[in-house]
Amino acid sequence: MTTNTYIAGKGWLYRFDPRAKLLLMILMCIWFFLPVSLLHLGIVVTLVVLVGSSNTGWHHAWRTFCSISPMLLFMVLFMPFNVREGVPLITIGRFILITNEGLEQALRLMSRFIGITYVCTLLFATTVMHEVMLALRWYHLPYKASLVVTLAFTYIPFIADSFSQITESHRLREAEDEQKKKVGHRLKDLVPTLTSALVVALRSIPNLAMSLEMRGFGREEKRTSFHRLDAYHHVFIHFVLSCIIPIVFWLVSMLF
Amino acid sequence: MQGNRNALKVAMVSVLTAVVVVFTMVVRIPTARGYLNLCDVAICFIAFTFGPWSAFIAAGLGTALADLISGYAQWAPISFVVHGLEGLLVALIVQKKGDIAVSLGRKALAAVVCIATVSLGYFALSALFITTVSVSAAEIPGNIAQSAVGFALGLVVSAAVKRAYPPVSSLAW
Repeated sequence: MTTNTYIAGKGWLYRFDPRAKLLLMILMCIWFFLPVSLLHLGIVVTLVVLVGSSNTGWHHAWRTFCSISPMLLFMVLFMPFNVREGVPLITIGRFILITNEGLEQALRLMSRFIGITYVCTLLFATTVMHEVMLALRWYHLPYKASLVVTLAFTYIPFIADSFSQITESHRLREAEDEQKKKVGHRLKDLVPTLTSALVVALRSIPNLAMSLEMRGFGREEKRTSFHRLDAYHHVFIHFVLSCIIPIVFWLVSMLF
Repeated sequence: MQGNRNALKVAMVSVLTAVVVVFTMVVRIPTARGYLNLCDVAICFIAFTFGPWSAFIAAGLGTALADLISGYAQWAPISFVVHGLEGLLVALIVQKKGDIAVSLGRKALAAVVCIATVSLGYFALSALFITTVSVSAAEIPGNIAQSAVGFALGLVVSAAVKRAYPPVSSLAW
């Protein structure tokens, strides 16, 4: 099970400060909801995809697009029922299949959806998880919350492995072919597997609590941090750029 | 002593969050219309066994992390709110008062609340922020099926885990 979304690279997005990148991501997500023309929205989405792909590679852009393609297909399929008013573009007999306004709204929603998805995945593709956590802590995310996320990431592979092993051992005991069973029967058969997997996971809680105590969790002294964000230079410029980029996009869409 | 309890709480929430992520990502049951994932089983199990706050944090954080890892980052805030609320509400309804067992009526109410929270929550928030009303409405039957199956399995699994590993009852907060 892959829990790492980071793609190694050397582009400028990798050198961009994670705190500023987080701010840029939020501002860009807000930008996609501003009342701009469809042309400007399309241009900005294309720009974001181009800039992102030059950093993470085309394969990443294609994979992101594939992951959201079922939702995009749904948007196209429901296009005839969303907006009924406006100039008819395609009609079947008396039934208006697509109107001009309907097509525009569908394209706007699809562009917004692609833009938001790509901006969000780009942050996690160009920033390692502990730096995302450090950035969130810089924005005053409580230490306990970041510790919970870090520990959860540590435990996901362990629980996933235990789960796979338990599933395999339960499957070996069954004579009937898994594929031939009905969904209800398959769900019923899952109960022993889920129970065993949960017991294995729950048994690790006391050990983890003990190791946290032994490492000094809960003591009054100020803790030290192994990972730091000092390696990033020009932080102020990055923050300014994060604010300027969405503002420039918005001004351009207003003027032209 | 307070430090010990805090360490236990952090350890418990971390492991339960990981459980929710694994149940969301690893277990997928193919159906005619796509996949059912078992995040609701984990959420209902936590709500029945560990109480409202563990359920709220683990459910919200677990599903949001699963969305981030799977490449659906834009759904993460919605999943956090919807599933967090689902866990909190179910746990509040089925919370035990003393040694009195939870009545069938309260379990039925919890099931209705669980299904309504997931289906209406996803419908409202995704229609508002991500897709359209019609696209979000098309997802409602799948969400109802997933949360109903999740609730039923969560109930069964919770009873089975309490029998198989009795110390689990002392971990609730």
